[in-house]
Amino acid sequence: MSAREVLESLRVAVKEYDSEAAASCAKRAVSEKINPVEAANAITSAIKEIGDAFGRGELWLPDLVGAAAAMQSAMSIIEAEIVRQGAAKKSLGTVVLGTVHGDIHDIGKTMVSTMLTAGGFTVYDIGVNVIVEEFLRAVKEHKPDILAMSALLTTTAAEQRKIIQALRQNGMRDKVKIMVGGGAITEEFARAIGADGYDATALGAVGLAKRLIGIE
Amino acid sequence: MLEGFTRKFKPLEVLTEEQVSAIHVGALDVLETTGLRVEHDRSLALLADHGCKVDLRQKRVRIPGPLVEDCMRKCPSTFTIRARDPKYDLRIGGNTLYFSQNVGMRYVDLDTWETRPGTLQEHADAVKVLDALDTVHMLCAYEFYMDMENVSPYMMPIEGLASGIRNSVKAQCMGYPHDSEVFAIKMAKAVGMELRGAINTAPPLTIYEDCGNAAFRFVEAGFPLFVGGAPLFGGTGPATIAGSVVINLAETMALLVLVQLIKSGTGVFTGGLPLPMDMRSGHAAFGAVSSALHQVMWHQIWRRYQIPSCSMHTGYSGSKKIDFQAGYERAMNALVSALAGDNICFFHGAIHGELTYHPVMSILDDDVAGWIGRFIEGVDVTPETLAVDLIEQVGPIPGQYLNTEHTRKWWRREQFIPKTADREPYSEWIRKGKKDAIALAKKRMEEILSTHKSKPVTTEQDKAIGEVLEEARSYYRQKGLI
Repeated sequence: MSAREVLESLRVAVKEYDSEAAASCAKRAVSEKINPVEAANAITSAIKEIGDAFGRGELWLPDLVGAAAAMQSAMSIIEAEIVRQGAAKKSLGTVVLGTVHGDIHDIGKTMVSTMLTAGGFTVYDIGVNVIVEEFLRAVKEHKPDILAMSALLTTTAAEQRKIIQALRQNGMRDKVKIMVGGGAITEEFARAIGADGYDATALGAVGLAKRLIGIE
Repeated sequence: MLEGFTRKFKPLEVLTEEQVSAIHVGALDVLETTGLRVEHDRSLALLADHGCKVDLRQKRVRIPGPLVEDCMRKCPSTFTIRARDPKYDLRIGGNTLYFSQNVGMRYVDLDTWETRPGTLQEHADAVKVLDALDTVHMLCAYEFYMDMENVSPYMMPIEGLASGIRNSVKAQCMGYPHDSEVFAIKMAKAVGMELRGAINTAPPLTIYEDCGNAAFRFVEAGFPLFVGGAPLFGGTGPATIAGSVVINLAETMALLVLVQLIKSGTGVFTGGLPLPMDMRSGHAAFGAVSSALHQVMWHQIWRRYQIPSCSMHTGYSGSKKIDFQAGYERAMNALVSALAGDNICFFHGAIHGELTYHPVMSILDDDVAGWIGRFIEGVDVTPETLAVDLIEQVGPIPGQYLNTEHTRKWWRREQFIPKTADREPYSEWIRKGKKDAIALAKKRMEEILSTHKSKPVTTEQDKAIGEVLEEARSYYRQKGLI
């Protein structure tokens, strides 16, 4: 199989939601010494196609999530190779993303994570029920362009304010843009807690992220 | 005791006996094989003591089928919920259908359809309207306008309950956000009433610490409970309706086991919020036909166990307005549930999903509930209602039935007279300014608010409620939450 064919089968595996095939294509790309940055680009272009089709209303959430899982299984292998070679992956920017403490809602956050990745961002998803200190630690470690927080409940929405305050107290607020979302969040609330942006949908989150880092 | 509505004919069923058994076996299998994650040490210990396989490190509990069936036999088929005024006590179970109000986090403006936080005065007014509506038998006052101007979200559930008790004599429900049930139980006991407590799983197959705490607190207070989950088909539960029933059933059975092990014979009714996931937005799809099918199956299954069951999805629509979509999605789901043997339909006042609530909607819903209630009461077929003798007496034209003793006796019993719906002749409708349903309901709301007087709480009761509120405030203040 030529390098081109390996990359094409990697793209097809992501587009067919086949995590196993995606991982085995990624391993093959590594063993055949295909440039890992090109492999990462192939994966990203496949997920972008899926994301665009979702945006047009042709695909649905199960398609999006299935492709994202296939992407992850291949990308972890390719990223390890990129790190090993000391190469640099093309990315629009870095996002740290999590659902705040007291809130276990995962699906909306995962959708945003997938759409941002499909949109060309590098996303560090730090999970659900994340305490303030953990958000701070992730911001220190990954130095993201954007910190994104999700909260579904009226009582947990206040956690977002706490995290922004903690960033301020630690002199980190100016180093990162903050976007918030989730069922309990409104534009008005986002402004009140000092976030830089809010959007109600996962699709909208991509445009927002681009605006926040000045590319749109 | 409030009578509610009595279903007088065979309930709607969509499953064969074999299918009911397959679902039952499927749920027991899930409990024995997969089990649940239980993040509550006291519950883990209790379940282990009664023969469940408990992996303390993983907090995983597998419940043997015989224990589940034994605990189900301990659930009463009927039980009461005591209201502030005994005339409004409820007897849950059998063929009785009660209605309760449903929830919405924010107030919605009826002109712009934009939302904003509610106010305490709007909450009190909405409770007064519910108190005045004959088809509302129970309130969940703690659960609407959770987003409340100048009230901390931590205080809102208990403030909502206080407003409910002060402004209505009817039975009240309570959940367990942030330990609020501790104060709710004190408040209810101070005014001599019970609460319908609630405990919910977090689908899939998880019981969190707050749920475990609430189970012990409500049961030890001697209060009956709602038990259930809220699987999102294709999200937090299987995409198939049968699969979503299996997982909801397994989760509900697990809670029911816990409740009966804490105190055998505690009254429970079962339900949940069974909604398909909207595969575009990831939100719950409200008003869906899949929910209706889930719920018909649900009532059929729990009727076999002789344990009362309720419907909670019935008050929600995907629509943001009080409009055609809100009307059909909500009414069809409520009707189908009622036909299938629903015991409590959570319905009045909610508009879009769990987001918005308005008393005008609760007034329009009074007509829907009255219509459904009248339908399930069915028809009497006796020589008198068959009226063969009367038909002989009246004969052909110029005979007519208006001026007969039979009509005077029967028409009111047979017809349902809506209190708000427009039944004016066309010319009258023009003359009176072409009023639509919302305008008519607004007018009725104004009348209710200016004339309806609920039996007030006594001075002592009012003081006790105030003291519990203060205690709650200082609890949340000490925890640094307000």
